[in-house]
Amino acid sequence: MELVERYLGAIKFWLPKTKQDDIIAEISEDLRSQIEDEEGKLGRTAGEREVAAILKKRGRPLVVASRYLPQHYLIGPTLFPAYRFVLAIAVVCYCVPQLLARLGLLAFDPDYRATHTWIGEMSHVWPDFPLEILVAVGAVTCVFAVLERVQVKSGFLDNWDPLCLRPVRDPNRITRLDSFLQLAANVIFAIWWVSYMWSQILFDHDGIRVVLAPVWKSFLWLFLLLALANIALACFNLVRRYWTVPKALLRLALDTAGAVGMCGLLRAKLLLEISAPQLTAARAAQVTYTLNTVMGRLFPVAVVACVLIVVIFNGFRLARLGGGKPGGGKPGQL
Amino acid sequence: MTHSPHVGSEIFENLRLELRRGSLILAVMSALQSEQYGYTLRKSLAEHGTEIDEGTLYPLLRRLEDQGLLKSQWREKDKRNKRFYRVSPEGKPILKQLLAEWRLINSSLEKILKEYSDGTG
Repeated sequence: MELVERYLGAIKFWLPKTKQDDIIAEISEDLRSQIEDEEGKLGRTAGEREVAAILKKRGRPLVVASRYLPQHYLIGPTLFPAYRFVLAIAVVCYCVPQLLARLGLLAFDPDYRATHTWIGEMSHVWPDFPLEILVAVGAVTCVFAVLERVQVKSGFLDNWDPLCLRPVRDPNRITRLDSFLQLAANVIFAIWWVSYMWSQILFDHDGIRVVLAPVWKSFLWLFLLLALANIALACFNLVRRYWTVPKALLRLALDTAGAVGMCGLLRAKLLLEISAPQLTAARAAQVTYTLNTVMGRLFPVAVVACVLIVVIFNGFRLARLGGGKPGGGKPGQL
Repeated sequence: MTHSPHVGSEIFENLRLELRRGSLILAVMSALQSEQYGYTLRKSLAEHGTEIDEGTLYPLLRRLEDQGLLKSQWREKDKRNKRFYRVSPEGKPILKQLLAEWRLINSSLEKILKEYSDGTG
C-alpha cells in the first residue's frame, strides 16, 4: 500500500491545511474499499499494477485536489473577452510598428542596409521581442486582474443603463461631417497650394532665399490634381452617402497616389538652393545637402507609415464591402 | 459548418455532463435520505443507472455539507472508520422544493418534446 500512501501524500500537498486530514482520510477509505473490491474480483491481493490502474483512473493528484478547492481565477469569464481584445491591441501596437520600421529601413535605406544584414537584424530584434511582448502582456494582465477583483467586490458591471448604449452605426455610411471636413480641408489646401507653393522659389524674404528643384513642378500638379479629385469625391459623398466598391477603389487610388507623391517628395532632392546673408556659399550648399539627405532618410519611415495608413483604412473598407455584410453599400450607387 | 465525429462526440460529452450536473445533486440528496457512506452511495447510484466518479462525488458531498444540506459523521464500520452522510433537517425542505422543480421541468420538457418532436426521440 506504499503506492497509495504516496498518492495520498501528493494529494495532501495541494489541499488547504485545515481540511487536508479529513479529505485524505475519506479518499483513503474510498481507495481501500475500491482495492478490496478489486481483490475480491481477482481472488488475490492486488499487485502494484492493479493499484496503479485504480489510482490512474482516479486522476492526477493535482486534479483530484483541485476539485476540493474553491475556483480561483486571475481574470474571470466575464472580463476575459475584453482582456483578450486589449491584449491583442497592445501586442500589435507595441511590437508591429517596431518590426515594420526596422524592416522598412532594411528594405529602402541603402545606408542602413550597408551596416545591417537581414540575419543580423533578425537576431538583434528577436531577442528583445519576447521581453517586450512579456512586458506588454504583463501590464495588461495586471490591469485586468485588478479590474476583476474590483468587479467582484463592487459589481460595477451590473450598474449600467441601456439608454447609454452606443447607437448602431453603419460603417459603410459616410457622415455629412466627414464629407464636409474633407471638402473644407482640400479646398483650403488647394487654395494655399496654388497661392503660396506655385513658384519654385519657396521663400524669399530679408535676404533668405529657398529655391526648389525643377522637379517640384511635377509634384505641384500631382498634389493639386489630388486635392481637386478629393474635393469632387467629397462633394459626391455629400449626395451619395454610402461607400460602394467603385467609390472605395477610387479612394484607394487617390490615397495610394498621395502616398506615392509624399514618398517621392522625400526622395527627390527637392531643395536646389538655400541662401542667407550670414551663410557662405559653401555653408549654404552644405545645409542644402544635409536637408536633402535628412528628407531622403525619412523615406523608409514614410513608406512604412504610408503603406500602413493606406492598407489599414482602405483594406478594412474594401474587405467590409467585399464581405457583403448588411449595409455594405447601396447597390447601383457609385 | 461541419465537425469531425471526434469533435461531435466531444460536444455531446460536454452537453451530457452539463445536463447531468444539476440532476446529480438531486440523485445524491435523494439517495442520502437514508444514511450512507461515499463508497456505498456511489455503488447504489451506479446500480440505479447514475454513474458518478469519485472525483465528482466527494467534492459534491462536501459542497452540499458546507451549504448545510447534508450532515456527516465519522463512524466505525467493518473495523474501519467511514464517513456517513445524510440529508440534514435544513436540506429536507430544499430537497422537496428541488424535486418539485425537477418534476415541473420534466413535465414541461415532455410537453415541448411531444409538440416539437421531429422523430429524433
